[in-house]
Amino acid sequence: MRSKCDKIERLLSDYIDGTLSERQTADVALHLRSCRSCKQEIVNLKKTNHLLENFYVEPEASDAYYARFTTQLQQRIEQSAPTAFHQRFHAALTRLGWHLLTQVHRRIDRSRLIGFLSIRRHAFSYYVFALTMTMLVAAPLLLHQISPHDNGEHLIGRLYTAAKTRIFSANSPVSVQPTATLAIKQDNTVAQSMGIRRNVSSERTTETPAVDSGSDVWEFTNEPITDGYIFTTLRKNNSEAVPSVALDIDSELLAYAELPAHGAFRTGLTSRDVLTENRYALLLLKGIEAGQHGLQEYERKWNEFKGFSEKLLDVPLETLSVPEVYDSKEL
Amino acid sequence: MERTEALLIADLCEGDETALAPLVEKYKRMVYRLAMQITKNHTDADDVMQETFIKVYRSIRTFRKDAAFETWLYRIAVNEALNFVKRRERRRESALEAAAESEYEVATRHQAQIASDPHVHAEKAELRHYVTKAVNSLSLKHRTVVILHEFEGLTHAEIASILNCSEGTVRSRLHYARKKLRTLLKPYVDASHI
Repeated sequence: MRSKCDKIERLLSDYIDGTLSERQTADVALHLRSCRSCKQEIVNLKKTNHLLENFYVEPEASDAYYARFTTQLQQRIEQSAPTAFHQRFHAALTRLGWHLLTQVHRRIDRSRLIGFLSIRRHAFSYYVFALTMTMLVAAPLLLHQISPHDNGEHLIGRLYTAAKTRIFSANSPVSVQPTATLAIKQDNTVAQSMGIRRNVSSERTTETPAVDSGSDVWEFTNEPITDGYIFTTLRKNNSEAVPSVALDIDSELLAYAELPAHGAFRTGLTSRDVLTENRYALLLLKGIEAGQHGLQEYERKWNEFKGFSEKLLDVPLETLSVPEVYDSKEL
Repeated sequence: MERTEALLIADLCEGDETALAPLVEKYKRMVYRLAMQITKNHTDADDVMQETFIKVYRSIRTFRKDAAFETWLYRIAVNEALNFVKRRERRRESALEAAAESEYEVATRHQAQIASDPHVHAEKAELRHYVTKAVNSLSLKHRTVVILHEFEGLTHAEIASILNCSEGTVRSRLHYARKKLRTLLKPYVDASHI
C-alpha cells in the first residue's frame, strides 16, 4: 500500500493542476477514495496553493522608478546607436534631409507646384538630377562597395555581376570555405576543460549542439593570447555551410573574424541569441567568392583584425554586440 | 494611431527605435516582477531589466514571428535573472546578506502595506509576510518554476521552453517546491480552511 501511495503522491501536484492523462486522473481519484493519508496530502497541497494565491506579495516598484528606468534605458540605447563617425554623419544627414523636405513641402504653394516640376521649364535641373542619380548608383558598383545577395536576379545584382566579371576577369574566382576565428575569454580555473565547454553545430538551433571539439568535421587550433584568453580558429572542411557556434555563458566572446581558407574580405560580429541559461549562439558570416583582388583585401583586413582583437580584450561584452564597434576602433 | 504589438516588433526589426518604448511600457512591470522575484534584490532587478530590454532591442531580428513575443521576453528575462544570480554567487557575495536584504525588503513592503491600509488584519499581514518569505526561501530552481507557474500563470510546456528543459523536469520541480512550501507553511496550512 505504501509503494502505491508513493506513486500516487508524485502525481498529486499534476492532479491539482489537471495535467494528468485521463487514465492517471482516474487512478488517482480511485486511490483517494480509499486512502486517508493521500486524501489529507491533497487537501494540504490545495491549502498551500490557496495561501500562495491569496497571501503572496508580488514585488512592485513605484511609478517614479519606472519613469527613471525608461529614461536610463533610452540613454543606453542612444549610446549604443551607430558609433562610427560616418554612421552618425549619415544619420544626421538623413534627418536633415527629411527636415528640409518637410519644410519645402509645407512652404510650396500647391498651385505653383506643377510649374515648379515642369520638365520643359527646368530641363537643365532634371539633367543634373539624373546625372547625380546615375553616379550614385554606378560609383559604388565600380568601387566594389555593393555586395549583391540576389545573384543577379535584380537590376543591381546584374549590374554588379557584370562589373565584377570585368574587374576580376583576369583571375578565376576562388571558392571560400567558411571558417571563423574567435578570441575567447576563459576563466583560468576552467581552462583545462576548454574542449568540453566549447561546442559547435552546423546550424543554429535550440537543441544542444551535437558536435564538439572531438568531431572530425571541425578543426580547432588554439593559440593562447595571454593568460585566460584563447585564440581559437574553427574550420569546417569541405563545406560551405554557415558555421554557428554555441558558447558557454562563461566563455566571453571577445572578437571574431571570418578566416576563410583561401581568402575573403569580410569581417564582422553577429548577434547573440540566448539558447539556454548557460549558452548563447553566434551565427557567423558566410564566406563569399573572391578573386585575387579579394584575397589581397582579405589579407589586409586579417592583419587589421589581429591587431585590434587584442585591443578589444578589455571592451565590455555588451559593446561587442554592436557591429559598429569595429568601425569605431582605431587600429 | 496606436501601433499593434506585431507592428511595433516589425518596426523595431526595421531599426525604428521609437517602437521600443511602447513595448517597454507594456512589459516593464512584468519584467521587474520576474527579475525581483528571482534576484530578490532591487538593484540586481534593475540591472536585469536594463539587460533584458537592451537584448530585446539588439536581438529582435532573431525573434521568430510565429512565436509569442511574451514567451520570448520571458525567456530572455528569466535567463538574464538566473545568470545574474549565478554570477553574483560566483562573486561570492554573501548569500546571507542578500537573504537579509530580501527579507528586509519584504518586511518593509509588508509594513508599508499595513500602514497604507489600517484595516488590514494583523493576522493576514503576518500570513502575507510568511507566505512571501517561504517562496523566497525556496532554491533558485524551485522558486523560478513556482513563480512562472503559480504567479505568472504559465503552462508546464511554456516553462519548459523558457528554461530549456523537459516538461517532466518542470513537473518534478513544481512537485518538490510545493512539498517544501507545504512544510514551511505547515502551521498556516493546518489552521486554514478552504
